[in-house]
Amino acid sequence: MTATSPADQPLIHVVEDDRSVRDSLEDLLASVGLPARLFASAAEFLRAEPVEAPGCLVLDVRMPGMSGLELQAEMARRGLRLPIIFITGHGDIPMSVQAMKAGAVEFLTKPFREQDLLDAIQKAIALDRTQRQADAVADELRRRHATLNEGERDVLALVVTGLLNKQIAARLNVSEITVKVRRAQVMKKMQAATLADLIRYTDMLKPRE
Amino acid sequence: MEIATHDPQPVSPTGKALRLAGLFAFMAGLFIADTLTDLEIAIGVLYVAVPLVAASFLPARAILLLSSLCLGLLLTSYELTTGGDPAAGPINRAISVIAVIAATVLVLRIRPAILAGIAAREQLARVARVNMLGELTASIAHEVNQPLAAIANSGNAGLRWLEAQPPNLDKARQALARVVSDAERAASVIARVRSLARPVPPHREWLNALDTVEEIIALIRDELARNQVSLSIDNMEGMPPVLADKVQVQQVLLNLILNAVEAMGTTPPAERTLRITIGVAEGGRALFSVEDNGVGLATDNVEKLFDAFHTTKPDGMGIGLAVTRSIVETHGGKVWATANEEGGASFHFTLPTSRTDIP
Repeated sequence: MTATSPADQPLIHVVEDDRSVRDSLEDLLASVGLPARLFASAAEFLRAEPVEAPGCLVLDVRMPGMSGLELQAEMARRGLRLPIIFITGHGDIPMSVQAMKAGAVEFLTKPFREQDLLDAIQKAIALDRTQRQADAVADELRRRHATLNEGERDVLALVVTGLLNKQIAARLNVSEITVKVRRAQVMKKMQAATLADLIRYTDMLKPRE
Repeated sequence: MEIATHDPQPVSPTGKALRLAGLFAFMAGLFIADTLTDLEIAIGVLYVAVPLVAASFLPARAILLLSSLCLGLLLTSYELTTGGDPAAGPINRAISVIAVIAATVLVLRIRPAILAGIAAREQLARVARVNMLGELTASIAHEVNQPLAAIANSGNAGLRWLEAQPPNLDKARQALARVVSDAERAASVIARVRSLARPVPPHREWLNALDTVEEIIALIRDELARNQVSLSIDNMEGMPPVLADKVQVQQVLLNLILNAVEAMGTTPPAERTLRITIGVAEGGRALFSVEDNGVGLATDNVEKLFDAFHTTKPDGMGIGLAVTRSIVETHGGKVWATANEEGGASFHFTLPTSRTDIP
């Protein structure tokens, strides 16, 4: 099983309406060697071309137009899975609870300690890398799954539930030999060495959440 | 700009001198008219105005002195008047004298109540202002924390540029320059909050209308952002300077803006628009309008809106608009509300400018 591992340079996205905070963040990130893309509003961020680099989003909560929390919800709707670190000038508890429940990595109150932000960013980048790898693996498995024909898919669905060949043959109303042949094809096409592998791959094919 | 004087009197010394001069002019005019008109015409009774007007700004002893002077003038012009029915003279004189004495006695008795009223109104205005500041704490904290966050970021970045091998002096210098400008920004926020919160006596000065509006907007930018309200300011070209107390005008603006924001709570966020228009009304007065597209006004209570303790909000105290009216009227302006055609409400107020004829 080969997973593509993007060792690419990470990229930090910053959405913050206050210019001096935005610029100072860019400089802070530059000083630790992290390039950043800056956006003055949520809408600007959503309009931008997506980038294929691991990274995270440093997001201000209060902004005119779409707020940070709304952008988080909108990203979820659009399937954008960039990890989010919230920064806010005046955080209240309900706000941070909502943000963290919706999957934010960290919720920092301005002015925050530099180390807290940098730690959160490293954590978020690692998370994004893992997510991207998992996505790549899932893509590969989907590609392999797509090569199965209808009969092989039926067999696969029953094999992973733990049924014996004989039982599968009875269910599908085919001979046991046919089941054996199709099963071998499935193992080959899915590049699974053992039944355990096959079960794990099938599990990874299930839609998340 | 700081206002340093702490004058306990509600009226400034110049204002007092002007009023006193006006009173003397009135008395002199009345004396001449009283002397020249016939005895039957009891113009002298108008001297009652003197103690009535004096009560609002002079101590009790001065009022007594002025009233005695009025009585002296009354009797002198009686001696000097030649025309008219001699029988009507003494009766008219007696009525005038009694009226002036009665007015003086009454004025001296109700004077403490008048002064207490003035003091209470100022106190109320200050309490309302401090209340509003309380409501704005989050916004103010945000306005201070933004530059602080930027300072911390730039400071850390600057340190790292200096520690780099070789040190990146150019980057470090830029970071330090940002630290300085953000520190100044934080200081100016604090200065604005302080000038709003301090119990300063009214101090009228010539103001730039747009600056006055923008200064208060700077304090509540976050409140607007949090409520997702977009703001537009229309300023008339060649706006004349406005004669007013800046802090009080900002309090009025703050009040109307916060009301507008609250009124737009049920408006879809994308449509929430606040429009502030600065222009000139009839008679050269400055006209400020704060327009929203919120719930609007219930037509039957537009008149009552500005009454104290009248409120349309579930948790309102009914003080904001009453204080607003009190401030605007003290400045010789007017405040009123109108319903917008396409929904929402507009609040307008006028203030004297350099082009206004002062009555």
